[in-house]
Amino acid sequence: MRVPGVPVRILAAASVLALGLVGLVVREGMARANGQEVVLPITGYDPRELLTGHYVQFQIRSEYPGGAPCPPGHDAATPGDGWVALTRRGDHHEATGAAASQAAALKLGEVAVRGGMECHARPAPEATWVMLHLGVDRLHADQTQAEAIQELLRAPAGGAGRGYAIISVGADGRARLKGLAAGGRRVDLLWF
Amino acid sequence: MASYRQRLERDLDDWIGRGLVPAESRVAILESIGEGRRPDAATALAIIGGLLAGVAVIAFVAANWGEIPRIARFVLVLGAFLGAAGGAAWASARGRTVTGHVLLSVAALVFAAAIGLTGQIFDIAGEPQAALRAAGLAAALLALAGRSPWPAAVGLVLLALGDFQDGPRLGADEPRLPGWLAVAAPLGMGLALAWRSQALAHVAGIAAILAVPTFGELFRNEAGQLFLGASVVLGAAAAAARFLRDRFEAPAGVLYGWLAWGALFWFGGSGFDGDLKGVGHSITWLAMSAGVVALGRQDRHALVTAAGVVGLLAAGASLLFNLGVGLMTSAAVFGAAALVALGVAWAMRGRTRA
Repeated sequence: MRVPGVPVRILAAASVLALGLVGLVVREGMARANGQEVVLPITGYDPRELLTGHYVQFQIRSEYPGGAPCPPGHDAATPGDGWVALTRRGDHHEATGAAASQAAALKLGEVAVRGGMECHARPAPEATWVMLHLGVDRLHADQTQAEAIQELLRAPAGGAGRGYAIISVGADGRARLKGLAAGGRRVDLLWF
Repeated sequence: MASYRQRLERDLDDWIGRGLVPAESRVAILESIGEGRRPDAATALAIIGGLLAGVAVIAFVAANWGEIPRIARFVLVLGAFLGAAGGAAWASARGRTVTGHVLLSVAALVFAAAIGLTGQIFDIAGEPQAALRAAGLAAALLALAGRSPWPAAVGLVLLALGDFQDGPRLGADEPRLPGWLAVAAPLGMGLALAWRSQALAHVAGIAAILAVPTFGELFRNEAGQLFLGASVVLGAAAAAARFLRDRFEAPAGVLYGWLAWGALFWFGGSGFDGDLKGVGHSITWLAMSAGVVALGRQDRHALVTAAGVVGLLAAGASLLFNLGVGLMTSAAVFGAAALVALGVAWAMRGRTRA
């Protein structure tokens, strides 16, 4: 068989790469659309870091009254290979445990998502913090939109944030960001 | 080090001057040796212009981030990539080799940017290491498709950046593997020889040196042995490249230089490990460096000579340290050595001018 010439080979390689990129976008979009939606409270961890370029940076963090215990298995899940169990509480979800496997995490909550948990249990009057590392920590938006979200998300000194991340948990257990909600306003990731 | 072509050009001018060869045969003789031509200033500027055009496209998308809808941004980025690759195919079909190489390099860079920008446009979370490696593989694919050394060099740089990024955390049972440079650098060296590319030889030679620390996870408590082994392997590769200079000319010469640097550098590094540390190691390093200087002078190879000179200085410092000489004595020894080196350099410069 005759080997195609260099121009044909270049065009074929470029087409394969372009199709690969399109395929990635479509696959991620489908996984995001078909995943199970969970809503998690978020806050910025440092006002100086909250707005860096054209994205809003946030931390998935729940706060509990001082003296509240950490969820079970909180030190078992590392961000690379752990699973976090989530359970619905009112209008949002909370982390109710962590484990090294998906099956074990599902025994601790309704939804299991890949990631890690960090818990800082403190006595009253301080608050206990539960932070989740799910690989989702920023939303790219245009500058005006990002600044508006920043104002809503910025936590008062020592207080909790006032926003929520809307996350899709796919069949593969990965968290994918669908949007942010803050101050009664919701920003969804759309194609346009 | 003068290449065969440069030496032949000098000799031809001499032979033509003496009437041994007709002047009209000069071009035909030079073309018959088939050595790649060096890009002139205009070509170099065109290369820089092409690369800047790629950066301009990405900057344009970034500058109008808020105004351009997501899908349009993605189409723009893809269009820039396909445009550069299409241009490379067009240039290649018309025999414009340099233009083809430049545009294919731009395509490789735009694709690397496209991976990052696509992640931003659609908020697709991912590991930076995976993104860099994917971009490196894409550049390698374009290089192989177009038989083009420059995108291959771009790919090696991207793979090197990927190797030095923090990857996903490995579980206790998962195997510890070296970085991708361990495979990519030798392949890059082979392609540099096959395609007679000095640019790729430079990048692949440096990549071979940088590949060594990526074995760190495999030799966690045996850094000295790792560096010593790397020195032996790189030294053997340098000897092979030296041997291949007659056949592969300049690219083999470039590899010879960088591999000599690597062999001396990692031999020096092995002396910082407790097992190998000592006066004996420093003296061996000093002797090796002196040998490399002599070899570099004999081969008229500046890169090899420079490796030996730097090795001599570093080995000397290591010897003083291992002997426990005080800082003041060390300062005096190095000051005297510097004066001698400067004096010799001054005398040599004077002789050259004369």
